[in-house]
Amino acid sequence: MTAPAVVFDEVSKFYGEVLGVNRVTLNIPPGITSLVGPNGSGKTTLMNLMTGLIHPDHGSIRMRGISPRDPENLMRITGYATQYDAAPRWATGFSFITTGLLLFGCGRAEAEEKAWKALERLGLTDAAHRKVAAYSKGMRQRVRLAQAIAHEPELLVLDEPLNGLDPLVRAETIALFRSWAAQGRHVILSSHVLQEVDVISDQVVLIANGMIVAEGEIRNVRDEIHEHPSQFIVRCSDASNLAASLFSEDHITEIKVNDDRLSLLVMTRDRERFARALGRFAGDGHRIDSVIPADENVDALYEYLIGGDK
Amino acid sequence: MAVYRRGYHRYQGRIMGRWARFLVLPRFSWKKLFRQRLVVLLMVVSVIWPLLCAGFIYLTNHADLLKGLPREFQSFIEVNGKFFLVFMNTQAFFAIFLSALIGPGLIAPDLANNALQLYFSRPLTRPEYALSRLAVLFGVLSLITWVPGLLLFGMQVGMAGSWWFRANWTLSLGIVAGFAIWVLLVSMVALASSAYVRWKIIAGALVMGFFFILSGVATMINGVFRVTWGHALNPAWAANAVWRTLLSVEPIEGPGAAACALVLAGIILLLALVLERKLRPVEVIK
Repeated sequence: MTAPAVVFDEVSKFYGEVLGVNRVTLNIPPGITSLVGPNGSGKTTLMNLMTGLIHPDHGSIRMRGISPRDPENLMRITGYATQYDAAPRWATGFSFITTGLLLFGCGRAEAEEKAWKALERLGLTDAAHRKVAAYSKGMRQRVRLAQAIAHEPELLVLDEPLNGLDPLVRAETIALFRSWAAQGRHVILSSHVLQEVDVISDQVVLIANGMIVAEGEIRNVRDEIHEHPSQFIVRCSDASNLAASLFSEDHITEIKVNDDRLSLLVMTRDRERFARALGRFAGDGHRIDSVIPADENVDALYEYLIGGDK
Repeated sequence: MAVYRRGYHRYQGRIMGRWARFLVLPRFSWKKLFRQRLVVLLMVVSVIWPLLCAGFIYLTNHADLLKGLPREFQSFIEVNGKFFLVFMNTQAFFAIFLSALIGPGLIAPDLANNALQLYFSRPLTRPEYALSRLAVLFGVLSLITWVPGLLLFGMQVGMAGSWWFRANWTLSLGIVAGFAIWVLLVSMVALASSAYVRWKIIAGALVMGFFFILSGVATMINGVFRVTWGHALNPAWAANAVWRTLLSVEPIEGPGAAACALVLAGIILLLALVLERKLRPVEVIK
């Protein structure tokens, strides 16, 4: 069965003479996808293109088979939380979400029921009848998320959704994203917190200067970066001895032994041969406790592909 | 982790009709507006003149009350096109004040808060958003323009009888059409100001300024070039010229009703273009 995908085909968007995004081709399957890139790289432009708030100058977009030029159908299946704190301050959290649902076409009773459900999911039930103006930053962020999920969309587009959330709510929100993604929905988000992206994302889209630098599952993307040796942290009983043995392998480029002599950072140009070599050394009597990839994360990908300036 | 299992259900419930959804925004705006004391006060003041006109209609239809008045005055107080023209001119000014008070709060806050993205993340298009805002003003201004105008017309028909209706039925069309043009113009000015200036007070001043400045410009053009066509640039004058034709009242010296109607249509079109330019979910600052 082919899963409905978010497809960008050679999409370009220019703001006058300023480049928004250029020749973007993407095929995003359901799951959690993070858009990662520096400020001004085009993440929000991509999200605005996905939701039909702006239209491409070139190329085509299909959101689970629906064109963004068809808001009537697209917005029924899409929830968008922008980066702006745009909820009217005079409205209560409950009336804000209910009004949004009425705009979707829900009847009054159903809108209220769904609004309560959304507020409950984001832990805002107690504050439902308080004015948004009286909300803390984190609560406003949550009400923004609540309005995006209230109509149970199958495509969630979230611009910096975890900003301003306390650790507990952040964990709950991530769990919510996971449960939605596990049901076959799209959760597309942008974030600057790379460690978080690493933990929650099924796939990443790295973007810089309006162009896609890499796209896919983090490990697959890492495998494609040949100019940077792969890094592994190896925990073992005798790091110096193991380091000496590893140096005989020609694919090893660098080894750093930790001060405690119980672990070492190994850089290799060939992951397969490294794995085989470790197996061999283990068979020869070296005690190896664990091998952890040190740069199979968004942080490393970002540094390799975009640069150190996050 | 690629997910190919579909574990959710699309919304299958009933969806309200397009109009019901469209009216969500005006409904909330009206509710909010009528909580403002100043708006309610101005609305009340705006119905004083229609009440006086109603009294006038009552007076003219009770011959016994007029017996003591001079014959010339009796012929002067007649409910005809002129009567409704005076009524419309007065209410037109209240419409400007009310739109200057209400209009700026309709779009400016949405632009200031980047809330347009929020609206357009719903099944709501830009034209629908603009129309919903227009509907707010159109609804409120209707209450002080063509609605009381038609009530007065109905009152006169009720008191004078069917002969009066047969002789003057076109007045009702003139009242509705004339006010519709004016309300549309005033609403568009208010919306364009609100979309252009994010500070509500300045936007309100801009609405008033639009009418007064154009009136001054028209007078200046007429004075400098010794012409009369400059009047067409004065929206109030142009509307008055159109109303005179609609109400079968003798025209005043200056450009004709057709030319004035064209100018008004041109102004409305320009204001629509301003809205088209400004009502964008993503603002590009060059």
